[in-house]
Amino acid sequence: MKKILFLLLLTGLAYSCDKDFGDLNVDKKNPAAVPPGPLFSYAQKELVDVMTTPNVNVGIFRLLSQYWTETTYTDEANYDLATRNIPQNFWNTLYPNVLNNLKECQRLIPSQDPTFYPQEVQDNQNACAEILNVYTYMVLVNTFGNVPYSQALDITNIYPQYDGGQAIYDDLAIRLDRAISSIDVSADGFGGSDLLYGGDMAGWKTFANSLKLYLGMMYADVDANKAKSLVEQAAAGAITSNAENVAFHYLSSPPNTNPVWVDLVQGGRKDFVAANTIVDFMNGLSDPRVPIYFTTDAAGGYSGGIYAASNNYSTYSKPSSRVTGPDFEALFFDYAEIRFLLAEAVERGFNVGGTAAEHYEAAIRASIEYWGGSPADADAYLANPAVAYATAAGDWKTKIGNQKWIALYNRGFEGWTEWRRLDAPTLNVPDGLTYNDIPKRYTYPVQEQTLNAANYTSGAAAVGGDDVTVRLFWDKQ
Amino acid sequence: MKRLLTTIWLVFAVASVALAQRAITGTVTGDDGEPLIGATVRAKDASSGTVTDVNGQYVLRVPAEATAILYSYTGFATQEITLGASNVVDVVLVSGIQLGETVVTALGVSRYKNELPYSAQKVEGNDVSNVRNSNIVNSLSGKVAGLEIRRNNTLGGSSNIILRGNKSFTNDNQALFVIDGVPVDNSNTNTGDQRTGRGGYDFGNAAADINADDIESVTVLKGAGATALYGSRASNGVVLITTKKGSKHKGIGVSVNAGVNVGKYDKSTFAEYQKKYGQGYGRYYEDPSGYFLYRDVDGDGTEDLVTPTSEDASYGAPFDPNQQVYFWDAFDPSSPNYGKSRPYVAAANDPGSIFETAFGTNYGFSVDGNNDKGYFKLGYTKNKDEGIMPNSRVDKDMINFGAGFNMSERLNLFASVNYTATDGLGRYGTGYDAENLMGNFRQWWPVSVDVQEQREAYERTGQNTTWNWADPTATVPIYWDNPYWTRYQNYSNDHRNRYFGYTGLTYKITNWLNVTGRVSLDQYDEIQEERNAVGSIDLSRYSRFNRNYRELNYDGLLEVPQMNITDKLKFDALVGMNIRKQDIASIRASTNGGLAIPGLYSLSNSVSSLLAPTEVDNHLQVNGVFAKAGFVWDRWAVLDLSIRGDQASSLPTNNNRYYYPSASLGIIFSEWMGENRSAITFGKLRFNYAKVGNAAPPLSVLDAYRLDAVYGDASLAYLSTTKNNPDLKPESTTGLEGGLEMRFLNDKVGFDVTMYKTNTVDQIYPAAVSRATGFAAKYINAGEVENKGVEASVFFRPINTPNFSWRLELNWSRNRNKVLSLGGELKNLQLASFQGGVSINAAVGEPYGTIRGANFVYTNGERTVGDNGRYLFSPTSSEIIGDVNPDWIGGINNTLRFKNVSLGFLIDMRQGGDLFSLDLYYGLATGLYPETAGKNDLGNDLRLPIAEGGGIIMEGVKADGSPNTTRVSATNFGSYGYARIPAAGFIYDASFIKLREVNLTWDLPNRWFGNGIRGLALGVYGRNLWIIHKNTPYSDPEEGISAGNVQGYQGGAYPSVRTFGVNLNAKF
Repeated sequence: MKKILFLLLLTGLAYSCDKDFGDLNVDKKNPAAVPPGPLFSYAQKELVDVMTTPNVNVGIFRLLSQYWTETTYTDEANYDLATRNIPQNFWNTLYPNVLNNLKECQRLIPSQDPTFYPQEVQDNQNACAEILNVYTYMVLVNTFGNVPYSQALDITNIYPQYDGGQAIYDDLAIRLDRAISSIDVSADGFGGSDLLYGGDMAGWKTFANSLKLYLGMMYADVDANKAKSLVEQAAAGAITSNAENVAFHYLSSPPNTNPVWVDLVQGGRKDFVAANTIVDFMNGLSDPRVPIYFTTDAAGGYSGGIYAASNNYSTYSKPSSRVTGPDFEALFFDYAEIRFLLAEAVERGFNVGGTAAEHYEAAIRASIEYWGGSPADADAYLANPAVAYATAAGDWKTKIGNQKWIALYNRGFEGWTEWRRLDAPTLNVPDGLTYNDIPKRYTYPVQEQTLNAANYTSGAAAVGGDDVTVRLFWDKQ
Repeated sequence: MKRLLTTIWLVFAVASVALAQRAITGTVTGDDGEPLIGATVRAKDASSGTVTDVNGQYVLRVPAEATAILYSYTGFATQEITLGASNVVDVVLVSGIQLGETVVTALGVSRYKNELPYSAQKVEGNDVSNVRNSNIVNSLSGKVAGLEIRRNNTLGGSSNIILRGNKSFTNDNQALFVIDGVPVDNSNTNTGDQRTGRGGYDFGNAAADINADDIESVTVLKGAGATALYGSRASNGVVLITTKKGSKHKGIGVSVNAGVNVGKYDKSTFAEYQKKYGQGYGRYYEDPSGYFLYRDVDGDGTEDLVTPTSEDASYGAPFDPNQQVYFWDAFDPSSPNYGKSRPYVAAANDPGSIFETAFGTNYGFSVDGNNDKGYFKLGYTKNKDEGIMPNSRVDKDMINFGAGFNMSERLNLFASVNYTATDGLGRYGTGYDAENLMGNFRQWWPVSVDVQEQREAYERTGQNTTWNWADPTATVPIYWDNPYWTRYQNYSNDHRNRYFGYTGLTYKITNWLNVTGRVSLDQYDEIQEERNAVGSIDLSRYSRFNRNYRELNYDGLLEVPQMNITDKLKFDALVGMNIRKQDIASIRASTNGGLAIPGLYSLSNSVSSLLAPTEVDNHLQVNGVFAKAGFVWDRWAVLDLSIRGDQASSLPTNNNRYYYPSASLGIIFSEWMGENRSAITFGKLRFNYAKVGNAAPPLSVLDAYRLDAVYGDASLAYLSTTKNNPDLKPESTTGLEGGLEMRFLNDKVGFDVTMYKTNTVDQIYPAAVSRATGFAAKYINAGEVENKGVEASVFFRPINTPNFSWRLELNWSRNRNKVLSLGGELKNLQLASFQGGVSINAAVGEPYGTIRGANFVYTNGERTVGDNGRYLFSPTSSEIIGDVNPDWIGGINNTLRFKNVSLGFLIDMRQGGDLFSLDLYYGLATGLYPETAGKNDLGNDLRLPIAEGGGIIMEGVKADGSPNTTRVSATNFGSYGYARIPAAGFIYDASFIKLREVNLTWDLPNRWFGNGIRGLALGVYGRNLWIIHKNTPYSDPEEGISAGNVQGYQGGAYPSVRTFGVNLNAKF
């Protein structure tokens, strides 16, 4: 009988230990609470990594812009986005990893102790997060067209609607202005959690104005007035020298290294060579940046593999060791790009000061200097009639487009975007395709088709069909 | 008066019978030669009877006119011996089904099989151990209706064990293993990458720690009705193992076992190679033909032909023995061919020559003893297995100890301790990984490379001297290492120490009430180490994974054994509680940025500073109470009722208790026929209903952030991409089952048919959501999976005499699985996505396990080609192109015995079920298989340019429905593979018929030895000897990647191994 009592006791015991019992469900190895800073750091790094990586599963922008081409496995160079789910992998980094952590970070900013984080610091932190939000959504729009925006990032609504690309842009411009005006350069921001500027808000102000200038110019072909006002407002506050470039400085040891090094050097793959598209073009101009961008080929000169064809790795030039260095920086914006934008602004009749030729020349000088060329190199290059603004072939769009494309060499995404917007340079067409088959947007992720079908369908219809040949709202011929 | 007379007459009659008696003596032994203790011996048509003693001997007094004696024993066929003149009758009983057969059911309760109101199938220990599989799961294949085993061909690899179909979307669907009432973990600790074909090693499943030599019998409880008392974890069925509890004979018994086996790979399950074209991807290299590199190797000022060493395909130049070409070894200074060209011909030794003869040994002993005070047993088994891959082995040491002791008439103490140590070295790489040579050999291989020359190069240099130089001027590997370097330098090793056992007591409070208390433990620690040497393709690396698993169960049981309430009503009951505590802690750490010092595999040898390891610390506690009552009415009606309540720590604290009932009814209609039933010996109908609740996986209620590697001084944190749910409630499985069991002609023929339907609802799973929500998945409580099926087992025993017997057993089952809902508007749940653009899914309205990928475009049912003559692809790569579920599975088991020799063989079958082959998806593209190098419809070499009569016409139609007539070039790589043919072109039917097991055992006659030896048996066996039928070219249709919910995918498949062995068993 004693034993029965004992058993009953044991049973009772098991049922009475409710408190400890629930604690078993608390994760002992992961934090239940974190400050906003580490979330901001994570979002920054995820964003810059995904924009920089040459990994064929995520970032094939260097192929789309024909800076590089593939050697043996040429599927991506031939615009096969589907097999590796490339659009999905890109989207899946930007929404959950970047945007959702920025949102969570912004949610936590006001919960900090105002003694240590006074209002102006919190405002600055919020402005930093907003600037990255604007940048990231702009990248999403520039990649896909219409995307979830007003209903995005809400787990209680698992079927978020797609918003129009231009409507998103309109809101981004407002948010960006608000962020710029809320910055107090005398106060701290995220401090050490800010991997770009270490909390220096003046830097963020330059970043924000450069972004605004860029965003404004994207409007140029669809809403010239809006473009004009945004560009004119932002021009003075944008980058004024290479020293002010918005650069993310990678570290020399993994896992915080340059993603190009990770894939090409650490990964030991020999999948990429320079594309003949850019090498031929630069060789034709005797561009001083050729030996800085590329290694020598088997013959000791510089040549690129035929774009999208099978290429023998050892025959051709490869990305240079500078580009593949473990701590080589990644750029959000640089001085050359800003001056190209200003050149374009002048051509479009915007009041930003200077002449188009001045800005164009300054841009090319900035690029050559950035890459380590000498002023003499730049002088010689600009003296080339095929380069000089007055004599180079084509209209201003072609002139600026061609040189900007060269300057944007390590920034595949921007290279691709400006090709779409400026319709220059002339890219090569892979065997069996036409010029129109070169992607002008990404198709939506397959997961959106299966998990958010109704909104996907209406979103796809609104952009003009879920096809790579569809032009985005700012992309006019 | 008349009554009195009758009485007197009767008394006289009885007295006269009593006077005319004779005493029969003899020994009753089983067909294994062991004397049977307690066998029933009774005279036919008379009341006298006795039982045999500890030596199997009996003395039976029978009336003089008695004509025959009946001998019966549990588990053996009853035998009738006609009495002759002799008073000494020795009998050998043949084992087999018998009316009084018992099976062990949930919580270790032994019941008469005839009275079971639910489906349970028993496999004898011998049938599990006689072909000496190193993984017990594999030994059950084909032997139980409704049990689906999927094995992998890696050495010591994991096997999937599913009863009645997959029920849960994302939780473990594996059957639960219970040994002597103690649940034993069967985890698969392979990485997520391994399970989705990315790469890594298959370290096997933990049930492989069970010692087959210690198994008395296995009972498989299939449905929820049979398992409800075990609670949620048994909703996938239970494999109940009863270990040996001391032998049937008197005193101490010693048994010694020793065996050896050898295995050869089955060539029908490995690649065949074309021998016409060499290394390369096509015609775009340096020489005028475009097939070769063009370098002046010998320095004579003219360019020489060099095979493009960087290329892992066979679309190179046609072989020509008159052409001199420099191969990879011309650039290996240690090679005799250094700097020399060779005739351009195919390799003499293809990759099949890497496979070695597998070699295994097993030896062990057991000692046991038994008397009326108790029993003990002690066993030790050592297995050593060397695989077909170089440098691979798995060793196991298993120690079993068990004892029971009757302290008094009322108190019984028992305990069991088991220890298993598993040591693995060089397990086979799997998936799409440089460490899986099968990916190299089946997908990316130039047929001009001689594997034995690679072996010689590795043995010569000890370096990674690969055929796959980046360039003749840059002799570093580009995509693939020397295969022998891979096996000897980039290898894994693992070790697991496992302890499981229990201790407890049973106390008979009264004649009708027992109480049992028991504590059981299942604990193991394991380490898995992986390494990549400096000089390999992959970054040099060392990683280690340490995991500790512990489960403690505290059980209390009050039991009313079956007893007669009235002479028609029998009753039994059970009330109990169970506290289960499960703790899993693991840590996985890896070097960062490479190894600083070659050859040192240590975390401290990291080039860059070490990153934080991944830690897991999961706890789960489930408190359960349960009750069961059983009734048997008039020997024909059996009713079982049970209820269980659980409280689980993994559910929200305000909603963590749940209750579920079961009811089972058996109607033994043969009892209605009375004693005279020679045609229908036995017949029973069964019905049951049961519900089983289930909790959430640990840590799915409360949210937590994650930390990433620090960036300089800045720490990085992020939200988990899976959103947890504080409102979870239990999920449940409801099972309905009906069955008919019949035996005829004195148990010569019989069958058992079961139909069932189970529905699993309110599933707790992380549902994938649009990533625009900021999350990848969200834990929800929704969805329903239905499994419906039929199981049948049939046996024939046409001949059953002491000298000759033949037993034939067939098992057959079909399960139809359907995802009825995923919750809300969700239509598809991706279980895994794979290389090749295919995924395995649970889609609404489809079976669990559909394969999605790019499909052909069909016109009037024909594959359609585009204007260019190549196949059109479906617009998305999410079309359903296959279903991994078989139509049916079955097994045919034959046992023949002639005197001392017995022969058994098992044919195992699966009909239907699809798999996707990444091996052919890539391998046909790279041109290594013969079909890429044959003749076209014109009779010309299809690889010739179209202008020279080459090229191929893809079978299909044009968009207008007319037959395709456009010839396309097949000169460069790709025509037959992934780039030109959608994934649907690489879906194969995984049906098979296999001669799974053959064993021949010879019990050497006892008279050959002295008194010391009680028996000596010599066994010869074979496993996986012959694939009688299959539809998968170059591969074993059973091969997959890992155990788990994701099946139907082959990438880098290993061939199956034919094993032959001999085994000697001696008893003293």
